[in-house]
Amino acid sequence: MRMPIAILAAAGIALSSTASLAAEKLVISVWGGSWKDLVEQTVVKKFKAETGADVEFITGGTIDRLNKAKLAKGNPESDLTFTTSHVGWLYATDGLYEPLDLGKIPNAKWLVEQAKISPYHIGSWAYVYTIGYRPDLLPAGFKFESWNDLWKPELKGKISAPDFDASHLVVVSAVLSGGDAATWQKGGDKLKALKPNFKAYYANDAASQQLMQNGEAPVQVMLSMNAYYIASQGVPVELAIPKEGAVLGIDTIGIMKGSKNVDLAYKFINVLLDPAVQAEIATLKKGSPVVTSAKLAPEIAKLPGVFTTPDQWNKEALVIDHKLRGELTGEWRKWFTENVIN
Amino acid sequence: MNAHDTISPTATRRPFLKLFTAPAVITAAIFAISMLAILQFSIRKHIPGSLDVGGFTLANFAGMLHPLYAKVFFQTVWLCLLTAVISLVLGYPLAYALVRSTNLFVKSFILITTVTPLFLGEVVRTYSWIVVLGNNGFVNSVLMQTGIIATPLQLLFTVTGVTIALVHVTLPVVVIMLAAAIAHIDPDYEKAAESLGAGPVRVFLTVTLPLSGPGIVAGLTTAFAWTFSAFATPQLVGGGKVNMVSNLVYQLGFANFNFPFAAALCVAGLALTYVSIFVMRTSLRPLEKVGLH
Repeated sequence: MRMPIAILAAAGIALSSTASLAAEKLVISVWGGSWKDLVEQTVVKKFKAETGADVEFITGGTIDRLNKAKLAKGNPESDLTFTTSHVGWLYATDGLYEPLDLGKIPNAKWLVEQAKISPYHIGSWAYVYTIGYRPDLLPAGFKFESWNDLWKPELKGKISAPDFDASHLVVVSAVLSGGDAATWQKGGDKLKALKPNFKAYYANDAASQQLMQNGEAPVQVMLSMNAYYIASQGVPVELAIPKEGAVLGIDTIGIMKGSKNVDLAYKFINVLLDPAVQAEIATLKKGSPVVTSAKLAPEIAKLPGVFTTPDQWNKEALVIDHKLRGELTGEWRKWFTENVIN
Repeated sequence: MNAHDTISPTATRRPFLKLFTAPAVITAAIFAISMLAILQFSIRKHIPGSLDVGGFTLANFAGMLHPLYAKVFFQTVWLCLLTAVISLVLGYPLAYALVRSTNLFVKSFILITTVTPLFLGEVVRTYSWIVVLGNNGFVNSVLMQTGIIATPLQLLFTVTGVTIALVHVTLPVVVIMLAAAIAHIDPDYEKAAESLGAGPVRVFLTVTLPLSGPGIVAGLTTAFAWTFSAFATPQLVGGGKVNMVSNLVYQLGFANFNFPFAAALCVAGLALTYVSIFVMRTSLRPLEKVGLH
């Protein structure tokens, strides 16, 4: 009878070990499409190799995922969430995030100051919203040195901007009028004066790329990564970094409160901040790494909007306070819709 | 009269048949609860920087007094009306040919080309229109190459462009409804008119067209209501320059996390839909009566 007992014991051990392996699964909430692919091809690949754990994705738009997270408060569907810096503040203020212990993330010691968003969420990669333009469709020699150049009469009916986020132009107008994000009303009249130069407003990345690609709006307040993507498809688009700075955008990561895989989640974040992974992300998306230890190829590092030195982070980035942006984004959007778009 | 008088013999014999109404009752209840939730959200305060809502207020409705909202609400009604009328004018000959043609090839061709837009995804269909209507798109390329115009016509981000794209998807619905109405017209009426000396045009104008009145009213009303809910088409082809109520709900509500204001816009939009359709049905009632035969 010893043999069957031994077999049963072995089977029991095998089952329990399988169960333990099955529990080692991290669920990540992220945007779909190329963003999910980016995380899968870079971070997840290394994370799986290092931990042997499995990864599952929940994909969706920024707001869809926020709503779902709110509905599942306390029993989250995902362990980790990627979202934008200011929307991350909404997760934080609604108690959806776990406070982060950076001591558990060895690679966080290289994190740039601008990527330390809150005690709950930190940067995963960065980009800028700046002036993208088609030199072939503008008067010869036209250059952008300041955001003020957008107001030039030569650009009448030529520019476009996102309709889902007015924060870039609202804050830029305030800065040009001697104010800042907190005193954004100072730039109101200036922004209204830009109205004749607008050709259209885009609702998503695809529409932004299409407007630039077909030349309908040859000047755009544009996500740098989108500009580099269509440039790689042969569209002669260029990016300018105005002297006031390009508006910094940071996508972030946070651990969901109630996650049952907190230790694994910390390991994932550490892999995300690994210098090699950060360099790979920056190379694929032409964005900025959020750790100073990432080494980029010179042809990537020299691109406008890719920040690799503290000097660039400090001088070329126009940073809107993320918490303030989270609080005021609705008001800005409403004002922009009522006074500029319509 | 007792209670049994109102129950049909079939229902008495098969009381379980009542259970079959359960799915409809549950669906109706879900819709009603959703509507109540929206109504409840519309009278709650928005708390900036939070997903939670505050106490009760009418400020969301007061906020709609800004001229922008009147402009967009008017534009919505105008686009719906324009789309419905153009769909009717284009759809009637197609529906007539679909019903009266004896050539199977012609019937199949009309049916396939008319109904195909319904099977295309809204986003795919809309992006196709962006390609067709753009400055370097098909329409402008043809017009410029043939020398009809020297500079591209501005079709994207205009009411014209949005209307063209909206008609594309509304047309199949109108054609199907008109075809059903025309098919129900007894050909003997037309033959009788012909035998009394009426020519084809007179037969059409005095017999066929009036008798298809109910189909015309149904097609117009459906096209109007159908267009009211359009979102992706005005969003993408309108490029933020031509907005409908649904676009405002998205822009000011969901993109801003201001759910109370979005809910208030939904309630106002719904009320506008009911009022518009009521006015339309009332004004078209004489036409409908003519066609009842």
